[in-house]
Parts: sequence; structure tokens; C-alpha cells
Amino acid sequence: MKLNSLAFRLFATAALWTLLVLAIAGVVIDYVHRREAEAAFDTRLSQILTQIIAFSTLHEGDEPRTPKIIGEPLFELTHSGWYWQITPLDNAPGRRMVSASLAGESLILPSNLKIRPDANNIIWYNATGPVGEKIRIAENVYNAGEDEAPRFYSFLVAGDAETTESVNATFRLPLVIALGLAGMVLVAASLFQVRFVLKPLQAIEKRLSDIRSGNAEQLDGELPAEVEPLQTELNALIKSNQDIVERARTQVGNLAHALKTPLAVIINEAREEKGAGSQKVAEQATIMRDQVNYYLDRARMAARAGLVGRQTEVLVVAEAIVRALERIYSERGLDFSVDCPSSARFQGEKQDLEEILGNLLDNACKWAASRVVLSVQIEEPSAASPRKLLCICVDDDGPGLTPEQRMQSIRRGRKLDETKPGSGLGLSIIAELVQTYRGEFKLEQSAVGGLSARIKLPAV
Amino acid sequence: MRVLVVEDDPDLSRQLITALTDAGYAVDSAADGEEGYFLGETEPYDVVVLDVGLPKIDGISVLEQWRRANRNMPVIILTARDRWSDKVAGMDAGADDYVAKPFHMEELLARIRAQVRRSAGHARAEIECGDLRLDTKTARITLNGQPIRLTSHEYRLLAYLMHHNGRVVSRTELVEHLYDQDFDRDSNTIEVFIGRLRKKIPSDMIKTVRGLGYRLSKDGDET
Repeated sequence: MKLNSLAFRLFATAALWTLLVLAIAGVVIDYVHRREAEAAFDTRLSQILTQIIAFSTLHEGDEPRTPKIIGEPLFELTHSGWYWQITPLDNAPGRRMVSASLAGESLILPSNLKIRPDANNIIWYNATGPVGEKIRIAENVYNAGEDEAPRFYSFLVAGDAETTESVNATFRLPLVIALGLAGMVLVAASLFQVRFVLKPLQAIEKRLSDIRSGNAEQLDGELPAEVEPLQTELNALIKSNQDIVERARTQVGNLAHALKTPLAVIINEAREEKGAGSQKVAEQATIMRDQVNYYLDRARMAARAGLVGRQTEVLVVAEAIVRALERIYSERGLDFSVDCPSSARFQGEKQDLEEILGNLLDNACKWAASRVVLSVQIEEPSAASPRKLLCICVDDDGPGLTPEQRMQSIRRGRKLDETKPGSGLGLSIIAELVQTYRGEFKLEQSAVGGLSARIKLPAV
Repeated sequence: MRVLVVEDDPDLSRQLITALTDAGYAVDSAADGEEGYFLGETEPYDVVVLDVGLPKIDGISVLEQWRRANRNMPVIILTARDRWSDKVAGMDAGADDYVAKPFHMEELLARIRAQVRRSAGHARAEIECGDLRLDTKTARITLNGQPIRLTSHEYRLLAYLMHHNGRVVSRTELVEHLYDQDFDRDSNTIEVFIGRLRKKIPSDMIKTVRGLGYRLSKDGDET
């Protein structure tokens, strides 16, 4: 999962929220539980206090007697953390009693006098016991004497505060485990959720690559409502892209028509006159014609660059061109043979394939003695070339070219900037088109005698 | 030979008419698809030069309509649109050849000659009949290797007969193929020219088939 991705954003926020909420829940639960435990502890202390007061004052006489505490042996165990103490208030004379657990020592209250008694008249302290343990003390001041001659005693009961803390600790571990498990399950669920939610995006990616490779014309199929506007816009974009190219092509064609007819008139007119001036005009007009053709071809190609892919059936194009050439060269009685699997599909514009095949076959017809052979093979992707390719061969049994001439033609095709347009075999336009599709173009000696043009183009 | 030129550009049209007339053709012309279609439909042309970008009806549609109406004269398409898709569309519509603008007049004339020969069933540029020999490239007729001096009308007549040698050619057919549409067809010029030709070549080569027309054939060929 990349850091800068929708999946990561979704996952990270979901995980963060989950963990945050779980942590807060844990803190709250722990707090509530501690409060409960403390309240229970305080209740117990106040019950023991009430019991002590009741026992030690419910008798004849004005001195409290030593209380008996039932069911709590810790008051007998030395330094157990559980103590009681009965002393006359403000160091007044009177009997002073402590639990056995204090072992003769006395409880020292923290000198914090601002603590107010609660509804039951009990004052609560958090203090330190005789051996430094944390204790909680409940104090009740009780009048053991008559109303006219009061004798105030301070009744103290102390409990080991660590009891509640250990209760809390034993509760905390299972709480953390439970919450941790819940967290893991939720994070895993959010991972699944992210995958599930983002699945349509992967589908879109695949369909877009289909469009680029020419297997689809537009983004089809039902997509989630959120992506639908994107789909509409993308389709509109693809459409407008195609429209722009179509328009550019039409305008280029119109320009061609508009320029070529006047040029034809100029050339014919100039050739009629025999003066030196008109010869110059004819010569220059011919150069203009070639330049117009050359740059119109380039403009057509530029209009195509970066165009969303199309696919073209090779056999249909090949047959149409051979049909046309058979008529054009019917007088020569050429023998055409076309060997092309019907499954062969060119990954590109129909017009481009028409130009390539048309010019190659036309060339072959011009030079052939009697035979023109077109063969197309599909080359499956391999380790050497990962692309699926079409191998197109056009052979003729004409005079052919010498190796130097072949080299020259190809080089001329490659280095177009140094080329005078319209030269020689008209191979430059083929070479440039093939280059546009990152294909290969070779000229060889043909098995049937003449020139063999071999071209590799991307296939679908 | 009679040629129809359908071209909307007035300058190019004028150049074509001049060049074709100079080359010995009888030329009719139309400046739009509608007029062109009508002429091609009603007149017997030996070849048609048809521009594709025409006002009213475009060239390809005109051609398709002709072919649908079984007008089978050779048609050479003339257009600035020289992409192969345009060529294929033109040829599939029934064109016989294709010349891209701008073009050299000599090239167009050569293509026209080839179409005329082809439609008359001759494969080579030279047509022979007995001792007569017609070189379509140079527009010259020789008898035993010696050039015959002919006026342009005489040349047209003899060239047509040589293209169709061995076949009876009616007077009407000759008039229709040798003169443009403005020619006065009721005149007896054909007879006059036949008479002149008989003085320049062995007179028995052109036979009059009574009630049918004329036939050019080798000496002593009676069939």
C-alpha cells in the first residue's frame, strides 16, 4: 500500500479512529471501574466504622470500650494496612485505644483540615500508614458523653488502599486484551473494507488500459455513483479527442485540396510556356507541390500523436488496396497474392496502415515483372520483444535494389530532416509512419527476385 | 475519341480542355457534379476525367450513379485527396484509374490513352491493322513505316477505326465519339472524311457496310 494512495488514507484514518476510540473506551471503562471499586471500599470502611462506634459506645458509662470486629482478622495482623483507632478529640484526657495491627503505634492524619465531612459525617483521608503503605482512613467524631458534658472521641478506621489498586490491576489486563483484540479485528475489517470499496477503481484502471490499447472505444459498464461523473467526463474527453483529430484531419485535407488545384494550374500553365521564367516557375511550383505533400503528411502524423488507440483489421485493408491496385495496374496483368490471417489486427489508425500498405504495394507494382506477394504474420510476445507484432512482407520479382541503394533508401527514411521530400521510392513516408508506431522497417533481397520490404508493427 | 472533363476549377478545366483538344480528343466539359452526371449519363464518352471535389454532387457519388446505371466508360478520378483511403474509395466506387493533383499533363494524357486502349481491348501502346500502325503515345499513324499526313479530324476518325478495327462502326457512333456535343450531327462530314482517308491509305481497307456503317480491316479480309 503506497503512502500517497486513497487506500492508505482510508485505511490509516479508519485504523486511527478505531484505535483512538478503543483507547478512550478503555480509559473510561477503567475509570468507571476504579470509581466503583473505591466506592465499594469506602462503603466497607464506613460500615466497619459504624460497627466500631456502635459497639464501643453502646454500653453503660461514658468511656468507649474496646470494640470487637467480627470477620476481619487483618485488624489483628501487625502492619496489615487495616487499622482502627479511637482517641479523645484534640488530645483531651480519656482512654486511647488502637487495633492490634498498629502494634502500639498511632495513625497520623494528614494535616489537611479543609476536608469536609460527607453526608454521613465521615471525613475521608488518603494517608500513609506506619510502614509507609498507602491507606485510606475514615474518621467519625462521636460524642460518647452526655449532651451537657460532651466527650468527643475520634473514631478512625483505615484500610489498605492497595487492595483497590490490586483489584483494578487484575481488571485492567483482561480489559486491555479484550480491547486490543477488538482493535485488531476492526483494523483487519477496515483493510477488507478499503479493498472492497476501491475495487471499482481497479476495474476502471483496466478498462482505461483497454482504451489505450485499442480494445475499447470508451469507458463502458456500470460504475459506482461517485465515479459516474468521472466516467461521463472521461468518455466526453475521449470523444472530443477523437473529434479534434478528425477535425484536424478534415482541415488538413481541405487545405490540401485548396492548395493543390491552384498548384496544378500553375504547373501546367508554366510548362506550356517555353521561356526561362516560366521554367523557373514550373520548377519552383513542383518543389512547392512536394513540400505541400511532405508537410501535409507530417501534419497528419502530428495530429495522430498521442491519440487514444484504435485497432484495424489488416486483411480488410490489404484486400481493399490490392483490389484498387489490380484495377490501376490491370494492363500489366500482375499476379497478386495475399497471405494474411483474418485474426491479424494492427494497433493503430486504419489510415496509417492504408498508407503503409498502399505505398509499399504500389512500389512493388511499379517494379514487379509479374508477381507481387503480400504476407502478414503474427509474432506472439517473447522475451526478446514483449510486444505482439505484425510482420508484413511485400515482395516483388522486379529488378530490386543493390545493397547500397537499399541502405540509402532506409537511411533517407530515418534522417528525414536532411531529406528532400518526394524523392525516390516514396519510402520516407512509410519509414516515418513506422517510426511513429515504434516499428521496424527493412529492405532485403526478395526470394522471388526483386525487392522485399519487411515491416514490423504493433499488433493487438 | 470523346472525353468528358468534369472539373469545377475554371483554370484547370481550361488547361485540361486545351491539352486534350491538342492531343486530338473531342472534349466536353462540366463544372459541377449535376451537369457532369447528366452528360456522362446521356453521351457516349470514351473516357471521363472526373474531379472528386465537385459542387452539387461530389465526384464519387456521380461515379457510383453512373455505374449503377450501367455506364461503363473508363473513368479517371482527379483529386487532391491522395490518401490511400481516398484511392480505395474511388476505385471501389468504380473508377479505373486515379491521378492525384497537382499532376503533370503528360501523365494524365498517358493514363487517358491507356484507358482508351484498354476499353477497346488493346493491351499495348501500339495498335496495328495490316500495314497501318498507330502509336497512341505520339499520336502518329504510319503506313509501312512511313508517316501519313493527316488533319486532326482525319486522325481522330482513323484512330477510332483502328481502335475498333475488324468491327462495324456505325455513322452515328462515329459522330458521337469524334465530335463534342456542339457539333452539327446532321452534316455529312463523316462521309467526306472517309473519302479523304481512302485516298491516303489502301482504299479497300475501309469498307462500307451498307445500312450499318464502316469497317476497317486488313487488305483482302472479307469477313
